[in-house]
This record gives sequence, structure tokens and C-alpha cells, in this order.
Amino acid sequence: MPKQKLDPLPAAAFQILLSLAEEDLHGYAIMREVADQTGGRVRLGPGTLYSSIRSLLEAGLIEELDSREDPSINGERRRYYRLSPTGRALASAEAARLADLLRVARAKKILGGGYV
Amino acid sequence: MSERLYRYLLCLYPTDFRRAHGEDALQLFRDRLRDETGFLRRMRLWFDIFLDLAISLPRLHARAHPAFAAAFPARSAGAPLFLILEDEPLRPAALVCGCAITLAALALIVILANHLGPLRNLSPRAGDSEVHPINPQTPATNRAGTHPALPQPAVNAASESFASTGSGFKSGFAQSANSAVPAGITSVGSSALDPERQRVLDAVIANLDQHYFDSAVAHRVADALVAHQRSGADALAANDKDFAALLTTQMRDVSHDMHLEVVYSATPLPKPSPQDFAKMLATLQKDNCLFRKVEILPGNIGYLKLDAFLAPSDCGAIATAAMTSLNHVNALIFDLRDNRGGTSEMVSLISSYLFDHPEYMFDPRRVPTPQSWTSSPVPGSRLANKPVFILTSSTTISAAEQFTYDLKMLKRATVIGEVTAGGAHAGVFHRIDDHFGVAIPENRAVNPYSQADWEGVGITPDIKVPAALALKTALQQARAELQKNPSSLQHDSH
Repeated sequence: MPKQKLDPLPAAAFQILLSLAEEDLHGYAIMREVADQTGGRVRLGPGTLYSSIRSLLEAGLIEELDSREDPSINGERRRYYRLSPTGRALASAEAARLADLLRVARAKKILGGGYV
Repeated sequence: MSERLYRYLLCLYPTDFRRAHGEDALQLFRDRLRDETGFLRRMRLWFDIFLDLAISLPRLHARAHPAFAAAFPARSAGAPLFLILEDEPLRPAALVCGCAITLAALALIVILANHLGPLRNLSPRAGDSEVHPINPQTPATNRAGTHPALPQPAVNAASESFASTGSGFKSGFAQSANSAVPAGITSVGSSALDPERQRVLDAVIANLDQHYFDSAVAHRVADALVAHQRSGADALAANDKDFAALLTTQMRDVSHDMHLEVVYSATPLPKPSPQDFAKMLATLQKDNCLFRKVEILPGNIGYLKLDAFLAPSDCGAIATAAMTSLNHVNALIFDLRDNRGGTSEMVSLISSYLFDHPEYMFDPRRVPTPQSWTSSPVPGSRLANKPVFILTSSTTISAAEQFTYDLKMLKRATVIGEVTAGGAHAGVFHRIDDHFGVAIPENRAVNPYSQADWEGVGITPDIKVPAALALKTALQQARAELQKNPSSLQHDSH
């Protein structure tokens, strides 16, 4: 099966990378973290979430960890994912790219606020 | 149910994705199902799921079939293009899956059409189920609980049991105000409940709201009923009888009131008309309002055999005549062995003759009203200080027990016979339609006495004898008392 292209990085994939920046999470926790970091605007459905995770795994941007239980939910075992060094670098590059865009937008007075 | 549906939907994904992440996706769906309760959140969940399907399905299938994906640029060249996506024939599982999804979609359309139907004609009838065309204003103003389409029946006692099937549309609205959606509309979009059952449920809620004595509890019960319905729990009932039992359990779980009950009857429930009531009243009055015997027995002992405490508005004159004719006795025996109850107003009226000052006649079913006190002293009555005996049997019940209980507690009567039936709080029955009804206790008063009332246990007589011997025993007791205390023979308080 061919890999899904991650260039440019789709918004959902970028959100997933960001959600894993601080800790390893399982699928449902990633969904909740993404919802949190977008103020509830983005709720990744199972299909989108796992197809993105799959692409990210194939591209080596995240790694799958051994499955374990999440005591805060219930006794079911869950697969956890971790941001790989490559993934962190890519997320960082993507953030820088967006920051550049922001700077341009501000310079052209399309967006208010302070300098990024 | 929801999980099964999603499991079917998962079949739409390519096999390799399903194998790799099908369980994960299902687990995520379960997690959301568990965390996102309530109508709006559930709707949002399903919206997300379908949106997710619309977005991720084409992408995943394009990945699974690169030739298909590659075909798009070719199409732009203007030439039609046909590609075979699978080399192998369709799997039977895929066919079954397709059928199941088609059926689910059709069922969804039918359910939506059914629920949207009542929305269109803008005349929701929350608590109503009768065929009479009903002005929505009528039930709202009809707090007496009589049928809105019919004139008020003359019989007060009977009007209770006749109480509303067309109960308050207004209160149905008030009830559902917490969910900001009118009761008639709550059904729309909520989980697939048969419209017939939805109507019964709405009627039960409207009746509860209008009639249950504790409105806070009524609201909690109504919320629980709606929540159960939305969670799809109601769909578990295989038939109408089970459905009635399920609603009863749901109501009792929240209220802990064992007298709340949804009743299902396979044979049509009787539907009395005002003519029936008029006929019944005429029969009762011809029957002397069930004042069966008014006699003066040897030793000037009065004997009143009363088989029902009918409403004073219908039977007050006969009651007054009976009590007046017994005014000069030295002792009085009330024979309630065949009494099946009635109104507490008649209990108060008869008791009025037995006191020289107003006494509170406690009725566990009724919050105190002015009629809860006796209108003692009754001018001209000589009975206020005469010994009183009450004869009971194991079938003496309801208002007859109230009379017995209050006079016993007030130490005004000696109770002779058997332990009574023990029916204190039984709910008033409200007919919903030909097969469903709901029993709702309408009031609960604070017991002024330091012990529980007679509900479920009956009243224990002061002298326990078989009902058949009660009169004989009472006569012996009365004569003994009169002999022991002859002063009461001469004593005349007036």
C-alpha cells in the first residue's frame, strides 16, 4: 500500500503531532487533547484519527508503544503512541512555517496582535 | 445498539484498515459513547461519526486502490474510464454488510418520518390520547382532572377515578421546560421509540406533573423516564405489558413510591361517561347511599351499618338524617365490616357528631384542608360524649380505615373485630387510553400521631375477634360500659 503523502502536512496530522508533544497518549486521549487544544472545534472521528495515525506511523513521525491500561478510563488495554524525534522536528518545522505565514499576515495588516 | 450500528458502519472501511484499527476505532467510539451522554451530545457524536465517514472513507479507499486514485487525473482528459477495483468477487460478508446498512438507513428514515409527523400539525397533545378533538386550552384550565371534552360530572367521589386522560397539555410543557423543548417534541430525534409508546410515555409524564403530590419528585421521575427513553432502554420491553412494568420500575427506582404504577390491560379499560356517573349516583341514592342499617338496639344502643363514605355533596342529607335519628342513643356502634371506603369529607361529616370541639381528621392522602377538621359541635347533637364502637373486618379499607384510625388515635372509639385491609395511599387511577393507565398518589399528609399510618399493615382492633362475632362483642362491651358508668345515661351535655 502506498503511503499517504504527508507533505504538506494535513491539519489533522499536525494536530496529532502537537497533542503528543508533551506525553504519550492513546487514541481517545489524542482525540480529547486535540479537542482541547482547538477549543473544541476539531473533534477527530475514529476514521480520520486512525488513518492519520497510520500515515504518521508509516512515515516514522510517531511510534507505537506496548498497549497498556489507562486507569483513568477503564480496564481495557489501549495502544499508546509517542512522538518520534523526526516527528518532533517536522512539527517544529511546520510550526515555524505557520509562524512565518503569521508574520506576513500581520505585516499586511490582515491579522492584528503582537509579533510572533 | 449504537455500538452495533457503528460496528456495521466499520464494515465500510477497507479490510486492511479494519484489521489494523477496527478495534481501536470501536474502542474510541465506546469511550465517546460512555462520556458523551445526553441528547445533544449524542446527536453531536453521531454527526461527528457520519462526517468522519464522509471524509475518511474516500481517502482510505483511494489509498487501498491506487489505480482508482490515479484514475482521476485521467478523467480530466475527457475520456471515460472503467477500472476493475477488485479482482475477486464480492465477499458474502460485504453483501450482508451492505444489506444491513441499507436496512438501517431505511429504518432511520421511517422513524424520522414518524416523529416529524406530529411536528408538522403543530398541535402536540402531550397527555392526551383520546379521539375527541381537543382545544389545547381546555386541559390547561381543567385542573380538576376531568375529561376536557366532557362536562364536569356531578359525582365528586367518582370524578376522582374518572380523572383525566386528557391531562394538562400545559403541564406537559412546563415539565419539559428544563430541556427547553416542549414535551410533544422531545420524541423527535431521540432514540427510536415506537410512537405509540412515546404517546403513553408523554401521557404518564404529563399526569405525573399534574397529579403527583411532590412536584420535585415528579420532575425527577419525569427526567429519569425521558433519560431511559433516550438511552434506548425502553426499546428493551418486548411487549406493552413489559413496557408498563418497565416504566413502573423506572418510576419507583427514583421515587421509592410503591404506589406509582403504569397499568397495562389487554382488555380495554372501562371508560365511564357522565351518564354512567349519573346512573351510578341515582342507584346509590336509591340504595340510601349505602347507609345499610340505622337501628336502635335493646339497651338504647345505636347501630349504623355503613358500607361507603360517599361524598357529602351527594349523600350529606342522608348522613345527617341517619345521625339525627341516632341522636338519643346511649352508645353508638358503627359497623364498617363491609365498608369499602369513599371520601374523607364524609368521614369528617360523620365524625363531627362525635366531638364537642373541632378535631383534625388525619388523612394520609390529603394535605389538610378546612374539611379535614370536624365541624363540631353539631348544634343539637347529644352524641359527643357517648361511647362509640367500630366494627371492622379484614376487608375494611381506605376511608373506612381513616375513620377507624382517627377515632382510635383520638381515643374516641373502641375498635372491635379484625385487622383492617391496610390501604392508605393507593394512587388515583388515570386512564391514558384503552389499554394503558397510570396510578398516581396525589397527596401525602404529615401524620400527627407518633406511629406510621395503616398503609400495608391495617389497623389492629382494641378487641380482636372474628368479624362475625364483632357485633355481639360490641353489644356486650357497650352494655358493660353503660352499667359500669351509668352516669353517661343521664348525662346530657345540652
